[in-house]
Amino acid sequence: MMILAQQLLLGVLIGGLYGLAAAGLSLVFGVMRVLDVAHGELIMLGGYGTFWLVTLLGVDPFLALGLVIPGALALGVALYWGLFAFVVRADEATRVKNSLLIGFGLALALHALAVRLWTADERSVPTPYGGAVFTVAGLSIPAVRLLSLVLAFALILSLQLLLTRWRWGKAIRATAEDWQAALLTGIDVRRAYLLAFALGTALAGAAGTLVTIGYAVSPSIGLEWTLKALIVVVLAGLGSMPGTFVGGLVLGVAEAASAAAFGGPYREVVGLVIFVVVLVVRPRGLFGR
Amino acid sequence: MAGRPVATPLLALHGVEAAHGDVRAVSDVSLSVAAGEMVALLGPNGAGKSTLLACAAGLLRPRAGTIRFDGEDIAGVSAHRIVDLGLALVPEGRRLFGGMTVDENLELGAFAPRARAGAAAALERVFALFPVLAERRRQPVGTLSGGQQQMVAVGRALMTNPRLLMLDEPSLGIAPRLVTAIFEAVVAINRAGVGILLVEQNVHAALSLAHRGYVLENGRIVGEGSGAGLLGDPHVRRAYLGPLAVRE
Amino acid sequence: MRRRWAAVSAVALGALALLPLATPREDILNFVFLVLLGITLAESWNIVAGYAGQVNLGHAAFFGLGALLTRRLWTTGTPIVAAMLAGAVLATGFAVVIGVAAFRLRGAYFAIGTLALGEILRTTVSNVLPEISTLPAASIAAYRLTDRYYAALVLAAVTVAAVAALASSRLGLGMRAIREDEEAAAASGVGALRLKLAALALSTGLAGLAGGLFAYYHISYYASHPFGPQWTFDALLMTYIGGVGTLHGPLLGAVLYVVLKEYLAVRWVDLHLLIFGALFVAIVLLLPGGLVQAAARVRRLLRRRR
Repeated sequence: MMILAQQLLLGVLIGGLYGLAAAGLSLVFGVMRVLDVAHGELIMLGGYGTFWLVTLLGVDPFLALGLVIPGALALGVALYWGLFAFVVRADEATRVKNSLLIGFGLALALHALAVRLWTADERSVPTPYGGAVFTVAGLSIPAVRLLSLVLAFALILSLQLLLTRWRWGKAIRATAEDWQAALLTGIDVRRAYLLAFALGTALAGAAGTLVTIGYAVSPSIGLEWTLKALIVVVLAGLGSMPGTFVGGLVLGVAEAASAAAFGGPYREVVGLVIFVVVLVVRPRGLFGR
Repeated sequence: MAGRPVATPLLALHGVEAAHGDVRAVSDVSLSVAAGEMVALLGPNGAGKSTLLACAAGLLRPRAGTIRFDGEDIAGVSAHRIVDLGLALVPEGRRLFGGMTVDENLELGAFAPRARAGAAAALERVFALFPVLAERRRQPVGTLSGGQQQMVAVGRALMTNPRLLMLDEPSLGIAPRLVTAIFEAVVAINRAGVGILLVEQNVHAALSLAHRGYVLENGRIVGEGSGAGLLGDPHVRRAYLGPLAVRE
Repeated sequence: MRRRWAAVSAVALGALALLPLATPREDILNFVFLVLLGITLAESWNIVAGYAGQVNLGHAAFFGLGALLTRRLWTTGTPIVAAMLAGAVLATGFAVVIGVAAFRLRGAYFAIGTLALGEILRTTVSNVLPEISTLPAASIAAYRLTDRYYAALVLAAVTVAAVAALASSRLGLGMRAIREDEEAAAASGVGALRLKLAALALSTGLAGLAGGLFAYYHISYYASHPFGPQWTFDALLMTYIGGVGTLHGPLLGAVLYVVLKEYLAVRWVDLHLLIFGALFVAIVLLLPGGLVQAAARVRRLLRRRR
């Protein structure tokens, strides 16, 4: 019983990161109808950026967030101007297809670049407090992962505040609902797209940092995390950031439960099966509109 | 009201040709609206009225012809910039931001630079025009009735601080009681100096209120005149006002 | 025009058939084998993408299923041809069963749904059959590369011929109609789902045969390897670079892909994917019709010069 509870707890801890990873993808897809399948690679880059900051500059891993997020924002702007600004010129159906393809090419290139720069080995980032563990009610909670969960939640909350209080946050939401109506209200929809994409990339970078701190980074986490993010986006539906966070937790717990029930190797499968089932049965997800 | 010679029109379309995909919707259309004027644009479904408004609003690029707003050529200019020049559109079907409240929808209307400064005052004016909205400020717009939603749509466009307001079928699908309120509001807006280009199915109401009108059929202008003049026109009477005419 | 292509194809086919007699060099035969396998994978993938208009990211699942059954049957005594056909039947059967549900999804959802399906199969197989599958010693001793080579040649030729036949058949035209505009096609009475399933069946059947070829060719490999997404992505790359929806596109793309990959593999192993990724993006943005479109433009340019 304790073992199950422990597993579920670990599932919650990583579920928060799934939610964060999905939030960026959901924002971009919801606003621009662009399916950036290179999102996982952006997470990976965030992770490697953190790795460099820690090992080369000695920055504390969690503080590295303060550098990775602005860096990822800048990268998002560059990627939008360089690639996705062209994609959004087409109508919605073409847009989705093209973004899928372009994201795929981008993912391939970024993956190869990562292998070149950092080799295919796993890297992790040591923290001085790395081994610390809280023990609550007989369950052990790794301090680093707990802090990651808290930070992930804080980031989602900040995003929600941005989207509801900031003028351009509201413009982004309006654009997601009806881009033509947004134009008629005087909103520069192209700029809304740019901001949404930059924010999405920043969220990916942050997720990468937290993943690397609590777990590890390697070039292959790109596809893995793109799938996780996709699963959560489909599970939670579009249009609600808190809902996406909850969706991440649900996936984390579901994985933990299935690992406990069927054994470790099937952890991955349950997420994918949920994904396919939700896609076919209830495409708009749990919280979507 | 008798037609007056128009000086420099605020909005002037000349020889406009536009298409939806491959289908030509509008051919060689010329019309104008002077500052402070109310002009009605009438015609059967599919005549091209919405297409014309979409061109003027910047949502659709015309294939040929010119569209001038206050002398400036705006054909092909991005829609959000046209809003910032003072030309606003209340599109057909309301097109509100359903996930947001009345307040948030109206507030977004003041997004453009020209509308930012006077936003607070504009909001007061909207609530003065539509008191029922003031009671429902915090409600999500999805919970409002069709007529109330239309009020929000008109209000949102009004928040952009327009010099000319275009409305596409504002009475469509709305209870008659609320239609009157909306038309009264449109007249009040016009009296405050805002030009109006009104596309309406309710031909009688539109022509009674407007200074001038145009009739669009199959993408071409087939009639033009003062409001009263068109009301008396035999073709208009037969096609749009007679017992066989399609009524709302 | 048709006759010219037929003649060129016949010559090419003949040359390739004679190649093993002209040279005993195994590296050349292996290289051409990879090209032929690539052609089969790309052309088969193109059937769903180019003619039915859907991006199927689970192609590797059918490649893997074909390999799985072929390997199992062949190593337990079934003649290779029968084993390969059985593999193809398994792949097609599975495709048709999930296709009914999968085709309820549109566009991007179909793509990511099929991707998920492929990954489900790969993960399951790698858990259920984690060992390396190795041929028994007797088979290794009797291994002849030329057999594999001719099998690949026949399969590639059959695939290209099948796609060519499809393109000009009524089935193919119907599929093309769906790709252009699904609603209009449905309105005109074209049974959209049935056509899409037909395209999927042909595509996955050929992929299953390719999987059988893979099982025939490799001496040892992890059972889950042919289920890996890189096989789908390879097919995707080859098809788009060459020109999706055309007959020659996937063929050209496969040749370019394998040539470039082999050329770069020696020193710049990782770079070839970087280059392909960038090339792919450039093509999607600038030249959606791939090499075939580029060739057509060049031809038009030259004609204008005259």
